[in-house]
Amino acid sequence: MSKPILDNLFGSKIRVKILKFLYRNFPADFSVREIAQRIKEPPQTTRDELELLRQITVVKHKK
Amino acid sequence: MKTKKKTVKPKKSKIRHKAERFALNQNFEFFSELRSLILKSSVGEKERMIKKVSNLGRIRLAVISGIFLSDPDSINQYDAPADLFIVGDEINRAKLRNFLGSLEAEIGTEIKFTLMDKEEFDYRYSMFDRFVRVLLEGPHEKIVNKIGL
Repeated sequence: MSKPILDNLFGSKIRVKILKFLYRNFPADFSVREIAQRIKEPPQTTRDELELLRQITVVKHKK
Repeated sequence: MKTKKKTVKPKKSKIRHKAERFALNQNFEFFSELRSLILKSSVGEKERMIKKVSNLGRIRLAVISGIFLSDPDSINQYDAPADLFIVGDEINRAKLRNFLGSLEAEIGTEIKFTLMDKEEFDYRYSMFDRFVRVLLEGPHEKIVNKIGL
């Protein structure tokens, strides 16, 4: 049930899944591992995408 | 004699790992615009879902509600008795488990799911069962309907 339009627009299916997950669960914060498990994607790719999203300030680190 | 001295490095990475928690930045310039875009469900999405549901067995009725119909721009989401309700027989359980797992992964949250066979549904429907009544009287959409409801 993905959205090919958004996947293509954003250029990454995983990026869209991460955003969807975080918006659905806002304002909760998660570790990379938790996110990867919930969206069923590899942790390393998930980490890379999160890092990218953090650089453009869409997401932020929480302590 | 060699003793292993590799205890320092993994410890270090463990600490770094622990500190990394991510959340959306509400001060992001397009926070709400991105929200509507990401949470909006598209027509293509529904069609794919109908296809997958129909593939699970002899599906008589499939109803979506709750999270699938919630307006992404409103804060309070409609809390339906089920987000997805399926009436059918000869359901392939393995396929069903798989379908629900990937559905939750795509949507980004857990969904409330209920399955009944035709006989149970007929009985509950005829006796004005509370679950069935609340679901079918509230906001919902029948994505498969082969029993003329």
